Amino acid sequence: MKVLMSGNEAIARGAYECGVTFAAAYPGTPSTEITEEFSKYEGVYAEWSPNEKVALEVAIGASLAGANAMAVMKHVGVNVAADPLFTVSYTGTNGGLVIVTADDPSLHSSQNEQDNRNYAKFAKIPMIEPSDSAEAKDFIRIAFEIARKFDTPVFLRTTTRLSHSKSVVETGEPKPSGAVLEIRHDPRKYVMVPANARLRRLAVEERMKKLAEFAETFPENRIEMNDPSMGIVAAGMAYSYAREAFPEASFLKLGMVHPIPAGMIRAFAARVDRLYVVEELDPFLEEQIRALGLPVAGKEHLPFTNEFDPGIVETALSGKAANVKALPQVTIPPRPPNLCPGCPHRGLFYVLGKTKTFVAGDIGCYTLSFMKPLAGLHSCICMGASVGMAHGMSKALGEGGHGKVVGVIGDSTFIHSGITSLLNTVYNQSDVVIVICDNRTTAMTGMQQHPATGYTLQGARTRQLDIPSLGTVLGIENVRVINPLDLKETREVIKEELERKGPSLVVAQSPCALLLKKKGGEEKPLRIDPDVCTGCKVCLGLGCPAISWRKFDAETEKTFKKKTKKQEGIAVIDRDLCNGCTLCSQVCKFKAVEEAK
Amino acid sequence: MNPKALVRDPFSVIVTGVGGQGNVLASRLLGDMLAAKGYFVTIGETFGASQRGGSVMSHIRISSKSAWSPQIPRGKADVIVSLEPVEAVRVLREYGNPGVVLLSNTRPIYPVGVIRGELEYPSLDALREAVARILPGARFIDGTEQAIALGNAILTNIVMLGALNRLAVLPFEREDFRQAVGRRVASKQVPVNLMAFDKGYGLAG
Repeated sequence: MKVLMSGNEAIARGAYECGVTFAAAYPGTPSTEITEEFSKYEGVYAEWSPNEKVALEVAIGASLAGANAMAVMKHVGVNVAADPLFTVSYTGTNGGLVIVTADDPSLHSSQNEQDNRNYAKFAKIPMIEPSDSAEAKDFIRIAFEIARKFDTPVFLRTTTRLSHSKSVVETGEPKPSGAVLEIRHDPRKYVMVPANARLRRLAVEERMKKLAEFAETFPENRIEMNDPSMGIVAAGMAYSYAREAFPEASFLKLGMVHPIPAGMIRAFAARVDRLYVVEELDPFLEEQIRALGLPVAGKEHLPFTNEFDPGIVETALSGKAANVKALPQVTIPPRPPNLCPGCPHRGLFYVLGKTKTFVAGDIGCYTLSFMKPLAGLHSCICMGASVGMAHGMSKALGEGGHGKVVGVIGDSTFIHSGITSLLNTVYNQSDVVIVICDNRTTAMTGMQQHPATGYTLQGARTRQLDIPSLGTVLGIENVRVINPLDLKETREVIKEELERKGPSLVVAQSPCALLLKKKGGEEKPLRIDPDVCTGCKVCLGLGCPAISWRKFDAETEKTFKKKTKKQEGIAVIDRDLCNGCTLCSQVCKFKAVEEAK
Repeated sequence: MNPKALVRDPFSVIVTGVGGQGNVLASRLLGDMLAAKGYFVTIGETFGASQRGGSVMSHIRISSKSAWSPQIPRGKADVIVSLEPVEAVRVLREYGNPGVVLLSNTRPIYPVGVIRGELEYPSLDALREAVARILPGARFIDGTEQAIALGNAILTNIVMLGALNRLAVLPFEREDFRQAVGRRVASKQVPVNLMAFDKGYGLAG
C-alpha cells in the first residue's frame, strides 16, 4: 500500500517489517516519533529508557540475547551513549544492533549542530544514510542485514529534514527475522578486559577492511551518469537537494557514508570533468576524497553551517545570484518560541528572575525562561549540566556564593542525568539550591512518559519514582515541595532555601499546561477589567502569550476614563489562549483580573 | 491513476502560522488529498522548539511526474497559506515572488516582544497595504472569527483550507476534503470540519 510517511514513521515501519522486535530510546527532537511509532506495532518491545546510555546498553543486552534491537536517539544523545558505543564496536553483537542517530542541521531544536558521521569514523562503525522516506524504510532493513553479516553495530543517520518530512512509501507485510533468542556465553568476545579487547581491536580493523570492500559493490552506492562535465558525490537529504538543483549532472549517490567506497569514487572521478561533494555540516566525505588524492570542490563553495535547500546548493555551485524575492516594506516583529499560556515554569522563573542569583539552566521548555521578560535562567549546556555547574560555581565562589547559586532542571532531565550530580552536591556539600521543574512529563519533545510519571511508553501503569523521597535518600536535608503557580509560596521557599547552608532541593510540582489540556482539564479563562486596570504593565512582566498591551488610540483617548494622567493603555487577556493559571491575578495589585464570563 | 498536469511542476505550497494553530494538520490534509489523487507529494515540516508559540511552516511539493525534495528554494513558492498575518509577510519575504498566490488569516497572535510592549505589531491595514504593493491579488480573510463562530478557534486551519479551495489553485474538491478529514479526525468531528471548510469557501468568494 502507498502511504505518505515521515522519515521517522518510515524507519519505524521498516524496522517492524524486517523483524526488529526491540527498541530502547530516550526522547529527543527529531528522533522521538521513531520509537513512538514503532511501539504501536504488534509483537514488539519498546521502552523509554532514562537516558541514551541506558537505552544503548539495553539494546546491546537484547542483541546479545539474539534479538534485532535498535537504540534511537538525537545527535547529542549519542554523546551520552558514547561510552558503551565505542566498546560495543569491539564486541560486536549476536542479534543485529542498529543505532539510529537523528542529527539536527540548523539547530531547529538542539544546543549544537554536531555532525554524527564523525562518530562512525571515530567508533569504527559503519553508517548508512537514507535520502527520503522510502529509502528510510529500506535502509533500516539494510542496516540490520549489515549488522548481522559483519557482526557489527550499524549507524542509521537521519536529519531533522528527513525525519520530519513526509513522502510516499510503499508498505509491505512484516517478515519474521529468524532471530534465535537464547543465552550464549562467549567471554573472549564480550568481556572487554585488556587481553580480550586487544584481540577484538584487531577484529575491528579486519571488519572495517571487509566493510570497505563491501561498500564497493553495495547497491545503495550508485553511479548515475548524465552530463559528465559535473560530477556530484552526495548522500542523504543533500543528494535530494543537489539532484533538484542540477538535474543534468552526474551523481555518485552514497547510501553508505562510512566506510566510503574508494574505488568507486576514483572510477566516478575519472568519468567526470569536475568533482564536487555536496554535504551539510562537516566536510566529512570531502576530506576523505581529497585524501585519496582526487581534486574535489565542496566547502569552498558550500556553507559549513545550517541545512541546505536546492536553492542554496544551486547558488553555491553555479555562482549565480539567488532569486529575486518579494519584499513587502513593513517592519514585522520576530517570533521566538515562548512558554505556553498557563505554563507552570512561568511562575517559578518569574520568581527566580527577581532574585539576584545565577540560575544554572538545563535542557527543556524552561530553557526559554532565559528570554525577557522572565530572564530567570543564565546557562544551558547539555542534559543534566545545571546541577553540576551550580555545585562547581558555588564551590568556586566559596562564602561569597552563599545564597547566590541555583540550579534548575526538569523532571525528565533530572532522571536523565541529574541524579548523580545531585548526589555530588550532598557528597561534596555545596550551598546550592537545586530546583526540579517537575511538570509531570517530558514536555519539550511532546509529552513522553518517564519513570516519575508512573506510566510506561505504552501507557501501562508502573512503579512511580518519588522525586522528593529520592532527594531525601541521596542525603538532602532540606527537600521542599512547592506549587510554582503559587507565587507567594514559591517566593518564600526559594528565599528560605537560599539562606540555608548546604544543598537544598526544591521540587516545583505542577503539570504541564499542554498535558492538562490533553487530559481535558477544565479551564477557567480570566479577563482584565478595563475599568480597574491602571496600565501599570506588571502583568506583562510574566511574558504570557495570552496577555497583551493595548495602547490607547485617538478614539479611546477621548472616551476612556484613565486612572492616572500618565496611563497609556490597558492590559488585555485573550480568553481563547488563557487557561486560568492565575499568575496575572497574583501579580496585579489592583485586583483587575477576574474570571471571564 | 494519472493525475492532471499542474500549472507548474513541481507546484510548491507553504502553510505557515504560529505553533499550536493547527498548521501541521492543514498541511497533512492537503498532502493526503493530493496524494490520493495520484500526485507525488513531499511535505517538509518544522517541529520542536517552534511548537512553543514560535513561527512554524510546512513546505508541500506536488508533482505529477516525480518526488521532489521537502524544501522549497527561496523565492520559489507558488502558494502561501498563512494562519497569521505577520507570518504571511515573514514567509513572503523569504519564499515569495510576484507570481505567488497569498491567502492569509487576519487574526494576529502577538509575539513575546509585542506582549511586553517593547515591539510594535503592525496594523492589519499596514500589512495588507505592504503586501498589496507586491501582490495586488493577495487575500486576507477573517478565518479565526469564523472558526470561533463555529465554536472553536482551532478550526481556523480548516476555514483556510475551504478558502484555498475557492481560489482553485490546487486540484482538490470538497469531496476530497471530506474523505481526507474523515481519516484524520474522530467521526463526530467531521461535520463541524465540513462546516468550517464551507465557511472558508464562502469567505473567499
